Amino acid sequence: MNKIKHLLGVSSILVASLPALVSGVSTVQAEDIEQLRIAVKKDRYSVDPKKFNFTTRRPAGQITETAVKPDKNFVPQGILFESWNYKNGVYSIKLREGIKFHDGQIFDAKAAIEALKLYDQGRSDFLQIDQESFTQTGPYAFTFKSEIGSSLVIENMTHRGASLFSTNGNRAENPIGTGPYLLDNYKPKQSISLKRNDDYWGEKPKVENITYHFIADDQVRLLALQNKEVDIVAEVTPQMLLSLPKDGSVVVHESRPIRYVALLANLHGKAPYDTLKDKRVREALAYAINREQLAQILFNGKGVVAKGILPNWMFGLGDNHVEGFEHNTQKAETLLDEAGWIKGSNGMRSKDGKPLELRLVAAYPNVSSVRPMPELLEQMFRGIGISIDLVQVDDSGVYDDTYLATGEADLYMEFASNNNADPTYLLYNLFHSKTPWGYQYIAPAGKLDTILDNARQAQSREDVIKHVREAHREIVQTQLAAIPILMVPNFNLSRKGLNIPMFEHADWIDYGQVTLSK
Amino acid sequence: MICAPFTKDKQMKQFVFTRTFSGIPTLFGMTLIGFLIIGLTPGDPIEMELRRLGVAFSAEQVEALRVEYGLNKPLIQRYFLWLFDLFRLDLGTSIASGRPVLELFKEHLPITATLSVLAFMSSLALSLGLGGVTAVSQRTSLSTGLYVLTMFLVSVPSFWLALFLLAVFALGLGWFKLLQFGNPQDLILPTITLSLGHSAVMSRLVRERIIAVMSEDYIRLAIAKGLTRRAILGRHVFKSILPPLITNWAISFGSLLGGSVIVENIFNLPGLGQMALQAIAERDFAILQAYLLFMGLVFFLANFVADLMNHWLTPQIKKGDNGLR
Repeated sequence: MNKIKHLLGVSSILVASLPALVSGVSTVQAEDIEQLRIAVKKDRYSVDPKKFNFTTRRPAGQITETAVKPDKNFVPQGILFESWNYKNGVYSIKLREGIKFHDGQIFDAKAAIEALKLYDQGRSDFLQIDQESFTQTGPYAFTFKSEIGSSLVIENMTHRGASLFSTNGNRAENPIGTGPYLLDNYKPKQSISLKRNDDYWGEKPKVENITYHFIADDQVRLLALQNKEVDIVAEVTPQMLLSLPKDGSVVVHESRPIRYVALLANLHGKAPYDTLKDKRVREALAYAINREQLAQILFNGKGVVAKGILPNWMFGLGDNHVEGFEHNTQKAETLLDEAGWIKGSNGMRSKDGKPLELRLVAAYPNVSSVRPMPELLEQMFRGIGISIDLVQVDDSGVYDDTYLATGEADLYMEFASNNNADPTYLLYNLFHSKTPWGYQYIAPAGKLDTILDNARQAQSREDVIKHVREAHREIVQTQLAAIPILMVPNFNLSRKGLNIPMFEHADWIDYGQVTLSK
Repeated sequence: MICAPFTKDKQMKQFVFTRTFSGIPTLFGMTLIGFLIIGLTPGDPIEMELRRLGVAFSAEQVEALRVEYGLNKPLIQRYFLWLFDLFRLDLGTSIASGRPVLELFKEHLPITATLSVLAFMSSLALSLGLGGVTAVSQRTSLSTGLYVLTMFLVSVPSFWLALFLLAVFALGLGWFKLLQFGNPQDLILPTITLSLGHSAVMSRLVRERIIAVMSEDYIRLAIAKGLTRRAILGRHVFKSILPPLITNWAISFGSLLGGSVIVENIFNLPGLGQMALQAIAERDFAILQAYLLFMGLVFFLANFVADLMNHWLTPQIKKGDNGLR
């Protein structure tokens, strides 16, 4: 049926384009699309009807909308909120008028408060709003406070998980939102289909119907694109980029680089995982990495050399707040010599009879997303006399509990990004010594904790950014808790002729605005 | 002689009764071991989920969610609670989707069952054919060729075979689609993938058994009497090789179900295997425990049926033996 719809869509586009061809119009124009099929990895669209909690997983982002979304620099920009103000610990909100839920209910202050209160029911309220503080100050205006006195609640609302649902109806079977699409059909683990909401309050989507197909296997997602069964592949691994067909039938779309590949160093490990307590060894590792070479080999040559783990364009951090490390094996060798790690006749280093061997764990988010970088790094480190015990784990639970929480490794390779408009989000959760994510062995503690606490408590965005710059510098330069390697764009693959409005955060790619070039 | 059918019937009833009751502690033991293994596996489902979603959370929030899903209780207490719920046919609720596990099973089981039965039937037919041909045509190029083929099929991983079949028959020849599911032809490639490896393993067993039986004196006598090869194979050899094969087929049915995990994942079939794989990644304990229970039941039932058939087919299994081998 989807195939027929697709063929009908393509046929109608061809028929519609005939007059233009006949009249000899030669300008490149874009066409609307009737049916767009997107391959994604996992079914994450289940909603628990009884407990509205963290299991609510972006039910097809386009059905519901968030109050705000990240702009091109990841600064919150209003969607359902027209404006907001934070003063003396109180958020004052002015809602956009003229918006209705799909069932016709007006999205006013009362509805917005009810929708926001849903986040407290599952006790997984990451927005941390003081539920007792909601006060309606007008038909489209209300105020609230943060439970923890944070000035970053609005920033956290840019997360798709903070989408606002109507309290009417069954959220599992028929989620009611304000978004540009309506749920059409949901086949668990197979596909979810959306149809355009013709009464949408905002810019009308160009795509009439969107179907997300869930395809777990990376290679099968690529095969489905090659076989013309999907139009776009939304989750792309380096392995997929390395096995693209050479005939140009598959097009790579990319955002600005946002995801970092970095080695996180164990700063507080017990023997034998205490080698990196010596900063000179961490610096030696940073200088030993040939980032240019890795950028050329991996990610279809589209990665860029990283100076930090936050991109410079994000939050307006600026180009020069961190310097990065050049590739300089001579410097690396000198640092290791100074640290007392002497090269033996076999080219490998040791100190007091102890060989310089480091355990590198590559696991997050999974092995396929970073391979073959661990092997390439192993060779680079071997070049300066460091032996690597490479552990590749394809299970984040084993990674967390066996290596991260126990500190039983020297280096942790991670491929992640700051996917939140809260500028403190990544740095705080990974590098504060009270990190809830279990990175205590990596967190430098002391001065960095103070800087991050200041960032979280700052009452203006300017102050937050100032502290974040300082924290970032401390992490990737002064303390070298993270050794940045590459910054990588967010990729999509498509058949020829599609224009995808790429965005750095995968959740915010607006597939409703995809067009087909004539 | 008049009492024989009654005695046989009584024996059979006793066998079924004993076999069923001996299976109950096995199943309980299996659920307990399964529960402990799953419970002791590294990885907290709540933390993993929250981190995957990319939301900030506090230790208090994680603890609150743990309480909500009963994960704060000691493991053994959780096991008995699960067991109590099991008697009420409540398999719990999936942490990831928030849906009852029984409902998820009802949704996913038909695909896995259909696929497994189809693959089982195909591998049965293929293994008998391949094993028979290689046994009776020993030291011929056909036999050598088929032997090499079975060796290849035994060695090749199922994910590779699946991708190969997709590349050739879906992408290359365009005979199949990757994403559609609902038509009978959508199960052809998964069935082939799942059955080829198993039929190769089983065909080698068939071959060995046939060769062994063919060298028995009574077969030589039959040949000397001038019976045709077909008659010898059909009447005598097949009957002799059947009992040990039945036991192996029963075990292989269970492994086919287990093997469907990879095949369902690659062919994108929303079956139990795919559900279990995702549950492992998400530490969705309720689903994993139910899956283990289901697999245990399947193995138990398959072996039970095999024993029953052997009991019926083999005169040597008599009173007191109970078929417990």
